[in-house]
Amino acid sequence: MGANPSPTDSTTDLDEQISQLMQCKPLSEQQVRALCDKAKEILMEESNVQPVKSPVTICGDIHGQFHDLAELFRIGGKCPDTNYLFMGDYVDRGYYSVETVTLLVALKVRYPQRITILRGNHESRQITQVYGFYDECLRKYGSANVWKIFTDLFDYFPLTALVESEIFCLHGGLSPSIETLDNIRNFDRVQEVPHEGPMCDLLWSDPDDRCGWGISPRGAGYTFGQDISEQFNHTNSLKLIARAHQLVMDGFNWAHEQKVVTIFSAPNYCYRCGNMASILEVDDCQSHTFIQFEPAPRRGEPDVTRRTPDYFL
Amino acid sequence: MEVEVDEKDLRSAGAELLTDGRRGLRISVWEIESRNRSILTSLALQQWEQNLQTCHLPEMIFGESCLVLKHVGSGTKIHFNAFDALAGWKQEGLPPVEVPAAAKWKFRSKPFQQVILDYDYTFTTPYCGSETVELDADKRESGEISGGSSGLHWEDCEEQLDVAALALKEPILFYDEVVLYEDELADNGVSLLTVKVRVMPSSWFLLLRFWLRVDGVLMRLRDTRMHCVFDESANPVILRERCWREGTFQALSANGYPTDSASYSDPSIISQRLPVIMHQTQKLRVPGNL
Repeated sequence: MGANPSPTDSTTDLDEQISQLMQCKPLSEQQVRALCDKAKEILMEESNVQPVKSPVTICGDIHGQFHDLAELFRIGGKCPDTNYLFMGDYVDRGYYSVETVTLLVALKVRYPQRITILRGNHESRQITQVYGFYDECLRKYGSANVWKIFTDLFDYFPLTALVESEIFCLHGGLSPSIETLDNIRNFDRVQEVPHEGPMCDLLWSDPDDRCGWGISPRGAGYTFGQDISEQFNHTNSLKLIARAHQLVMDGFNWAHEQKVVTIFSAPNYCYRCGNMASILEVDDCQSHTFIQFEPAPRRGEPDVTRRTPDYFL
Repeated sequence: MEVEVDEKDLRSAGAELLTDGRRGLRISVWEIESRNRSILTSLALQQWEQNLQTCHLPEMIFGESCLVLKHVGSGTKIHFNAFDALAGWKQEGLPPVEVPAAAKWKFRSKPFQQVILDYDYTFTTPYCGSETVELDADKRESGEISGGSSGLHWEDCEEQLDVAALALKEPILFYDEVVLYEDELADNGVSLLTVKVRVMPSSWFLLLRFWLRVDGVLMRLRDTRMHCVFDESANPVILRERCWREGTFQALSANGYPTDSASYSDPSIISQRLPVIMHQTQKLRVPGNL
């Protein structure tokens, strides 16, 4: 398939790194730096609306749940035997953000045509400092260098993808400032996720039962109604918007009369929610199948359901 | 799953663990049980939306999880559940708190058909537990009976929690923590309602805690503690202390404290930095055997 007929030293190295990462063992800081340099060259050539061919398997949030990502590959098929499109949120919350994001970036460098990795709202400097990735890098590498290398790379991740001109994939949702896919193609994405504006909306907004645009009571953040999704799909000749960003109990959730679907790929989120995860397989004929899965059996992972008694006051 | 408990400690305290896969124990005149379950299914969630008359509920509702402390003789139950807590949230209906990014959003051109949603997305609740009395011998529950009609009455009192007694390192015969609901505020902080319980040979003690952090804006801590010392009298007394604290990041900064959200991930460490805005102690005399 995508394998190089005469493997060079660098692909051999990369294959070794990938098999090391598959065992949930992180790379050295130096290896991460070299890997991210290569990834940057590949990602900077990709479009804000990256075209993707079918067949492809579309995945939602992972959030550092490495063993569940390994389970996802067992169920969906290995990369590059299966093509993958991940819709962001690789880091934060779970215990293995470092291993998770390193593996996905390594696969991207090894098989650039076989895997697409979009940016989620957690692939940001600000969010990762609060929700775990920064602390995990400090703990595992003794400095913030690896965090700096990755968050600099996140700026290059594409924001959206388009499967066979029909399925529009992104982390969050639509924006009132964006009517056409060309609007997205035209902006400069290489920056920290802003607090406001179209790039922020693509990574943060949510579908809602209410029509029109809803502004959150937080004073920031949009929801979009079915009328908005219908109009957007019509204008851009789309069949479906696939997005992630929200926990859904069954792993996927249809909205807006099947114009929008939410996909969530972290089973038993935060190791306690008991939710299913799912991935969406789109075959050659663009027909789609959801595959649900449960958490992988754990070996040696801290069991958070075990609660240590303490003399709280 | 099960935390190791010393059999000898249990026996000498006259306690026995619950069986049939239930978590908890019987001790003195009490039966104490905790349940940790998954978040609500989408179907159950719809039902809750109807019952609570809202379409905005926390992302993670552990609707089947609970902590129940039952006085065996009278059928009086002190219990903790997400539904009653959210009913309290709905009723209190605090105005929304704006996040820092809102300032920038004000300058944004408004789309046609914009609706401003107005509900307390922090899910702040005054909830301090539920009381029920199981009236019938066949254990039919009487439902949620509040205050007078159930014969249960929390009265204000001068007594304070016996911190010295609680600080004694008695063996812990039973311990659990139950998350009732949680929301990530769309990555703008955390809203979390949990209840912890520990049972010792001489008493049970619990902490129901609502913890809110809106990044860059404010923190709220609403604690309810209950302590009940075992004696063989027919009318045990439960002491309840409620303590609400609240502070803005601005005030913390003015007092020289750090203002990055990462410094405020564990409320038990930083609670002293937040000023007390409400403090109350009450007691409940559990009615005699029915």
